Amino acid sequence: MSMRPGQKTNLVIGGLVVLFLGLAASFAFSPNPAPVRQDPALTRVVAPAPQVATLRMTAPQLAAGGGDASILDCYACHDEKKSPTVKMGADGAIVFPKEHADLRLMMANCSTCHVGKKLEVEYAKNGDVVMPKAHEDLLKMGHGRNNRNTNCFNCHSQTKLNELVTRDGTRLTFAQAPLLCASCHGPTYRDWELGVHGRTNGYWDTSQGKAVRQDCNACHDPHGPAIPQIIPFPGPKPVLTHGLGSAGAAEHGAAEVGTPKSEGAQPKPETK
Amino acid sequence: MSRRSFLRGSTAAAAGVAAMAAGLAPLRKLGEAISVDQFLQQHYKELSPADMDKVLRRIENEVERQYGVRPHVRDYKPMNGVEYVYALNVTRCVGCRKCVHACVAENNQSRDPEIQYIRVLKMPNGTFDVEKGDVNYAPESVPEKGFFYMPVQCHQCKNPPCTKVCPVKATWTEPDGITVIDYNWCIGCRYCEAACPYFARRFNFSEPTIPKEKLNPEMSYLGNQPRHKGVMEKCHFCIQRTRVGRYPACLEVCPTGSRKFGNILDPSSEVAHILREKRVFVLKEEVGTLPRFFYYFDV
Repeated sequence: MSMRPGQKTNLVIGGLVVLFLGLAASFAFSPNPAPVRQDPALTRVVAPAPQVATLRMTAPQLAAGGGDASILDCYACHDEKKSPTVKMGADGAIVFPKEHADLRLMMANCSTCHVGKKLEVEYAKNGDVVMPKAHEDLLKMGHGRNNRNTNCFNCHSQTKLNELVTRDGTRLTFAQAPLLCASCHGPTYRDWELGVHGRTNGYWDTSQGKAVRQDCNACHDPHGPAIPQIIPFPGPKPVLTHGLGSAGAAEHGAAEVGTPKSEGAQPKPETK
Repeated sequence: MSRRSFLRGSTAAAAGVAAMAAGLAPLRKLGEAISVDQFLQQHYKELSPADMDKVLRRIENEVERQYGVRPHVRDYKPMNGVEYVYALNVTRCVGCRKCVHACVAENNQSRDPEIQYIRVLKMPNGTFDVEKGDVNYAPESVPEKGFFYMPVQCHQCKNPPCTKVCPVKATWTEPDGITVIDYNWCIGCRYCEAACPYFARRFNFSEPTIPKEKLNPEMSYLGNQPRHKGVMEKCHFCIQRTRVGRYPACLEVCPTGSRKFGNILDPSSEVAHILREKRVFVLKEEVGTLPRFFYYFDV
């Protein structure tokens, strides 16, 4: 069959149009349209409002009773109209009043001093927050191996610094801080919830006693979470020259290294 | 009898008696080191509850006489439906040796000569040759860059070579998985020390010394009662703590939470979760000891 090229093209396009219209019609008028899959709504963690009953307690009372004092700022106890005077030392750092020495939590609680105002934060060229002179001894920023998380407001609320905000806008109290950590460190949080990450103390058999778990901030300073270097306890005395781990004994000043394997000839080969 | 032969004979006899007395002299000190009751005591498994009670009182008296502290010695029995498993996170361990010294304090190990149950091996990142590990490291601070740390202690094997070689059955595995030693029954032949591929057993070459103020008075018969010269000892998962539901001392002090302990027969325990979900390995798997001590990694 001989056809002109244009005619052939028209035929193919016409066929495709008919096919599409047919499919559209069958889709529109099909008796049982497939239901659209609805993902279940993600549950949000809702931070409970601070209870009035606890607010009536003074912060030391609350802390003594094991309560969460982080939701309180100075005005939980002080009259808001007669604000307490804040003393500054010669170095410009806040001198913490003696009567509040037990309130260590408030040391890092910015809203103790910055009330209700939006903070102006200065940034360095590389994007890091420039730490104000007055706070150099309070905080040491170092979150992340490459200091990628140095902006205060990645975690703190911009207007209420004693409140935490996750990336999706969920507001959390300081007591709920693990949920904030979880918003970035998911696998670690999962391990922590199951008891695999972090310390568990007390009783393995919970029918006989309590297992004590620590939350993130017990071990990690949130502003510099890497565990600091620690001084190790002394090693074996005298230096171990036998068995597992004695490979580097010569470097540690061992008198005899490579002593014969027949330990019977050695009066006190291992522990002395 | 001639005078000559009499003198010769009596001199020889006197010398013989003197030599024998000198030879037996060390036995007079035996009374201080070991009492008759202790000497005649039966094997742990053959002691009736009444016998055991007497033994525990005797140990309490002896410790009080030696250290001036009245201890609380008990014979803790394994719990039903419990098998202990230890898991250690190699990723998190920083090599601070706090576990080593907490263990010494808890379990009344000799301070001089020094006996430690735990060896913390330092190995370069990217290697895994425990025979080339270093326990004697002494830097100013840990962890050192480029190294990782791996504590090794008794692995409480399911197929323990140490108990098989004991000629007097002074060491055996309890139903809850802890390999124990009857310090009273041990003859000090050190076969078990040679059999252990993990170098976990320690021998008291001389009489152990513990300062009075450092003695832990909470004692168990198979665990941390003071040992004597010439017996073996080793990690027993702090029997006096774990058999009353508590965590072992090494776990309690670990600052990084690298140490995990629990009942593997309980599927909701931390260790059960680790063995299910984490990347787990055992040391010297090829020797077929089936340890109850596991190492794992994060991620």
